[in-house]
Amino acid sequence: MADETRQNEVARYAAAVRAELSDLAMPEREALLEDLEDHLAEVVAESELPLASRLGTPEAYAAELRAAYGAGLRTTGGRFPRIHRLVGAAAAQVHGWSSVQAVREYLPELRPAWWVLRAYLVVLVLAVILRGDQDIHPIPNPFTSGGVVEIIAMAVAVVFSIRLGRWASRRQGAESWPLRAGNAVVALGGLIAVGSMSTLPGWVGTPSSPGGMPDAFAAGPISNIYPYTRDGKPLDGVLLYDQDGRPVTVVANGNGLITQYPTAADGQPITNEYPLSQTTVDGSKAMPPRVAIPPVSPTPSPSPSPGASPSGNH
Amino acid sequence: MQSLADSSQLLKGVLDLAVLAVLADHDSYGYDVVRRLRETGLSEVGDASVYGTLRRLYQAGALNSYVVPSDEGPHRKYYGLNERGRKALSESTRTWSALTAALNQLLDGGSTKNGR
Repeated sequence: MADETRQNEVARYAAAVRAELSDLAMPEREALLEDLEDHLAEVVAESELPLASRLGTPEAYAAELRAAYGAGLRTTGGRFPRIHRLVGAAAAQVHGWSSVQAVREYLPELRPAWWVLRAYLVVLVLAVILRGDQDIHPIPNPFTSGGVVEIIAMAVAVVFSIRLGRWASRRQGAESWPLRAGNAVVALGGLIAVGSMSTLPGWVGTPSSPGGMPDAFAAGPISNIYPYTRDGKPLDGVLLYDQDGRPVTVVANGNGLITQYPTAADGQPITNEYPLSQTTVDGSKAMPPRVAIPPVSPTPSPSPSPGASPSGNH
Repeated sequence: MQSLADSSQLLKGVLDLAVLAVLADHDSYGYDVVRRLRETGLSEVGDASVYGTLRRLYQAGALNSYVVPSDEGPHRKYYGLNERGRKALSESTRTWSALTAALNQLLDGGSTKNGR
């Protein structure tokens, strides 16, 4: 308990010192503050007295550190050093919270995961941009023409991203701002691309279906419906409606199929008459699938009614 | 208004030399340097001044540094003199000796002036 309050004291003091020096440019600031926590820990270990009574205020400590380090300190060159310091102080306040401290401790371990994710997002964003159509789907998708290319691009991007990450972390927190800006762009672009995916695996796309109707009742996108009678006769011109009387529609133009909707007397296309008449891109008619009709039981079993009990035991 | 006799002001000028001299003895980590300077009698030297000086000497290439993990307490970053540091120390020592010799003479009541 006492240990924890001392740790918090160190965190608070360190955060305040960092805030005072937040106007310094990055590599110098990190270099200057590298030993800070170690130093404070030593002082705390040595004496029960509060840090400030031994070292002076964080502001004084920062000023002394700055003076001793002396010339050669670059500032960030911001035009508003005062604002910079205020923002720094606010950030320091947040960093001082113990929960934030805990997260900051394990965050660096997640870096390699970010490198891989970053590579994936870059390829995803590039794929979306290069394909330029509405159909954003998860990659790599080996069943599309670009699948192999996507896999190769992914491998190359992952290797490159990891090398970039290792190089940057070897330079000890001196990640240059172009790299940071790049990271931000990739994260944002990836977020947008993932967010606008309409066909996640196991889902049926909804936004582009003609009736705007959700038709998510299957493992893959439904592009046509073939009704059969119970004894296996294919039906034609079946109109389907849902429980609310809305026409049931499907994602009719997936898989390279072109659908010709019949036209009603009022000139409107009938989008729920099944099976849909579809042709492939080369003009040939789409063949109905082979289906397995469940065998018909030889004796029709009428639903038992209380009045006609087969046992007849009265 | 700071007094001219403020010893911390005087110390600032020679802190580099003091830190180099401490490290010439043996490699040491920041807080140990602070402690050894205090033990020598430089009680006014501020912790942050020592740490800032160490960092500056390190950045200037006069020191090498390595981390020594420890089971109890924090990991410690040790500093030691490298070739450049030893050279800086011997040069500064010469300058310091010359300076103190001259100052001592001055402070001894202007014997040089009278002797001429």
